[in-house]
Amino acid sequence: MSAVLEMREVSFAAQYPYECELNGFSLALEPGDLCLIAPPSGRLVTPIADVACGIVEPARGEVLLHGAGWAARSPQDAAAERGRIGRVFERSGWLSNLDVDENITLAQRYHRRHEPQEVLRAAQALAAELELDGIPQGRPAHVDRSLLLKAQWVRALLGEPKLLLLERPTRELSPAEGAPLVKAINRLREQTGAAVIWITGRSERMEDSALRPTRKCAMEGGALRDLNQL
Amino acid sequence: MKFVSGIGGWVVRRVASLSRLIAVAWTVVVSSVQPRYWPPPVRNVLARQILFTGFEASRFISLISLMVGIAVVVQTQVALAKVGQSGLLGPILVMVIIREVGPLLTNFIVIGRSGTAMTTELANMKVNGEVALLDAQGLDPFLYLVLPRVLGTAISIFCLTIIFIAVSFISGFLFGLLLGANTGNPGMFVRSIFGALTKADVFNLLIKAFVPGLLVGSICCVEGLSVGGAVTEVPQAATRAVMRSTAALFITSALVSLVTYL
Repeated sequence: MSAVLEMREVSFAAQYPYECELNGFSLALEPGDLCLIAPPSGRLVTPIADVACGIVEPARGEVLLHGAGWAARSPQDAAAERGRIGRVFERSGWLSNLDVDENITLAQRYHRRHEPQEVLRAAQALAAELELDGIPQGRPAHVDRSLLLKAQWVRALLGEPKLLLLERPTRELSPAEGAPLVKAINRLREQTGAAVIWITGRSERMEDSALRPTRKCAMEGGALRDLNQL
Repeated sequence: MKFVSGIGGWVVRRVASLSRLIAVAWTVVVSSVQPRYWPPPVRNVLARQILFTGFEASRFISLISLMVGIAVVVQTQVALAKVGQSGLLGPILVMVIIREVGPLLTNFIVIGRSGTAMTTELANMKVNGEVALLDAQGLDPFLYLVLPRVLGTAISIFCLTIIFIAVSFISGFLFGLLLGANTGNPGMFVRSIFGALTKADVFNLLIKAFVPGLLVGSICCVEGLSVGGAVTEVPQAATRAVMRSTAALFITSALVSLVTYL
């Protein structure tokens, strides 16, 4: 089976907005894998997700998505592939001039040209699965931060992505509040073979057995160090 | 030597900036006729841009053109009647309002009202990481942010220019009647204007109502997206956008007039 994502000896300097570097960073994710990564203490904004989805180019090494490097793809192909990656963003995750529901459905409407109502219905079904009382209404600036974080889950899981890049997806929530996300991700891993990178700065998440990670690592000197053999 | 290299550097920078601008405007024109570049969210942005730049500005444009109608059309009528040259009304109004004032003032108002708003919005999006967010979701920032804004601005300016010209003529005629100027009947007034219109005037109007709009939209988008990561760059970008849009407007207008009439 070919890897969903492979990062080979990737190096990337710590530059704004990122707070840590990648130095000989290697990672391979098969379908259904979940890799938990603990970033360096106090430096939570990592370039891992942006490098993985080809937004920024590493100084050294290569990143392969479904066996093909980002540089080998045409801009249209690369954009379409990015549209199939689910993400929870560490930094700004919202377009301030669109409502939350428009933000959530934007990529699906853009790439797959589905009817807005159809995408919205799928988003509402996901919101119910993730135990939200519907999709939050209004501009992101007027919505509670924890609700916005959960709305990012809905967006990330919409369209059944084959790769999920989750940057501290439960950062402001209690472990119990994060449980529906864990359940939904495990369902996707089993049903569609989604591969997941979950970056977390919280120790209790690293010990969460419900997540069933295939690999647990900490970042040290820009590379991954396995925390224990699973 | 340093002085000469300074001039050379300035020229190279200006030429590079001009070619970038033309490339953006040309890409907008080429992309706008290809349906694959118009997924529903991009069409939504176009509709919103036309609503904001065109529809919402129409009342203000009408007010300004009303004043221009009173000031220019009535004055011309009165002055020509005094010297017994009322027959020149059409040609003079066509020359002043249709060829120059209409397109220039409309573009100028749109630069001040919507151009700055567009630059500020895009610059803030860039500073807040929202442009990178689009990229991360596979949305091409050019297609989603630039294409519909530039095209929406050009379409809006075109429509607003037509509104400007129509309202200024109608208001000028009506105020002329009210002030007892020798306006003749409405049919004569309309005939004197249409009789003075040549093919070159129509060509001139079409170009001046559309091309500067494309350039203004492109300049405002490019300036907005050219900021780095600092909030302090946003007002600087807005100022640059206004200055460059105004310069582009006057240069284009002068060039089109020269090409059309000389």
